[in-house]
Amino acid sequence: MIVQVWKNQQLTIKTIEHLSMVFVALLFIIAIGITIGIFLYNKKNLSGIVLNLLNVIETIPELVLLVILMPFFGIGYKPTMIASILYSILPVARNTYVGLIQVDKQYLESARAMGLQEREILWNIRIPLALPMIAAGIRIAIVFTMGVITLGGLIAAGGLGGPIQTGIHLYDKDIILVTGLWIGILAVLVDSIGSLIEKILNRKYGYD
Amino acid sequence: MINYDIILNAVGEHLLLAYSALLISIIIAIPLAVLSLYNRYLASILLVFANLIQAVPSFAVVAIVVPFLGIGFKPAIFAIILRIILPLFKNTFTGLKDVDFIYIDSARGIGLNQLEILRYIRFPHAFPAIFAGIKFSAIIANSVAILTSLIGAGGLGELIFEGLTNFNIPKVLTGAIPAIMIAVLLDISFSLIEKRISLKY
Repeated sequence: MIVQVWKNQQLTIKTIEHLSMVFVALLFIIAIGITIGIFLYNKKNLSGIVLNLLNVIETIPELVLLVILMPFFGIGYKPTMIASILYSILPVARNTYVGLIQVDKQYLESARAMGLQEREILWNIRIPLALPMIAAGIRIAIVFTMGVITLGGLIAAGGLGGPIQTGIHLYDKDIILVTGLWIGILAVLVDSIGSLIEKILNRKYGYD
Repeated sequence: MINYDIILNAVGEHLLLAYSALLISIIIAIPLAVLSLYNRYLASILLVFANLIQAVPSFAVVAIVVPFLGIGFKPAIFAIILRIILPLFKNTFTGLKDVDFIYIDSARGIGLNQLEILRYIRFPHAFPAIFAGIKFSAIIANSVAILTSLIGAGGLGELIFEGLTNFNIPKVLTGAIPAIMIAVLLDISFSLIEKRISLKY
C-alpha cells in the first residue's frame, strides 16, 4: 500500500520540491528577519510598532493569509512563498532584536573598556552572543514554513500538500494516511535538525 | 451582492467549531497537567509528544483524522483538539511545576495539604502561563477551524474553498475578512486580559 501510493503520487519528487521550497523561503526569512532585527536595534523607538504589526500578521490563519494574497499574486508558487515569508519573519526578527538588547552588561563594559566602538561591539560582541536566540527564532520559523508550504498544495504550489488534497477529494484513505504521516515524520525530522543546530550554538555562545 | 445571512451563519459555525474544541481541550488538558505533577512517567511521555506534535503542519493533522473518523463536524473538532491540546498541557504543566520551592515549602510548613497547595499556591502562580497557553491555542484553533472546512465542517473556510474552486475572489474575501477580524479581535482582547492578570499575580 505504501509503495503503491508513493509511486502513484510521486512522493519522492514532491518531497524534494517541498523541501526546496522550504529551503528557499527560509533563506529569505533569515535574511529579512535578521535585517529587521538589527534595524530595530538601531531604531529602538520603532520596535513596538513593527513587532506589533508582524504579530498581527501572525495571528491571521495561515490559509486566509494565503488566499488574500491571491488577488495580487495569482495562484501557485509565488503567493505560497510570500505567505510563508510574511508569516515567519516575526519569530526571527523578534528573537534577533531581543537577543541583541539583552546581552549581559559585563561583556559590554569590558568591550567598551577595551576601546571598541559601538559598531564593533554590535558585530563582535552582540551578534555572536545573540546567535542562540536567533537560532531559536529560526527553528520556530522552520515549523511555520513547513506548515504554510504544505497548505500551498491547496493553491497548486506543488509540494506535499497536493497529494493530501487529492486524497481528501477522492476520499482515498491510503493516500491521506501515507502522505499525512510522511509529512508529519518529515516535519519532526527537520525540526530535530533545527534543535540540534540550536544546541550546538548554545554550547558555543550560550551563557550557561 | 453580499449575502449577510450566509456570512453570519458561517461566522457562527466557525466560532462554535473553534471554541467548543478549545473548551474541550482546556477541560482535558488542565486535569492532565495536574496528574502529571504527581506522575513523572506520564509527564515525560506527554512532554515528548507535545514537542513532536508541535512541529507537524496543521494540514497534515486535519488530513490524518479523515481515515479514522471520516468527514464532518465531529472529526473537525477532533482535529482541532489534537492540534491544541498538547501546547495547552505543556504550558499548564510548566506553569504549575515552575513554582519556586520556597513557596511550597513554607505552605507545607504552615500545614497546608497537597490539595490546598495546588489550590492556593500552584494555580495562582501558574495563572499567567496557563493563560498564555489559552491565548496561543485560541489563535491556532481559529486557524485550524478554517482548514477543517476542507473535511466538510462548514464555517468561514467553506466560503473560502467555494470561492477558490471557481476563482471567485469576492466570495473568498467574504470568508477571509471575517476570519482576520476574529483573529485580530482575539489577539487584542486576550492581550488586554493578559496584562490585567500579570498585574494581579
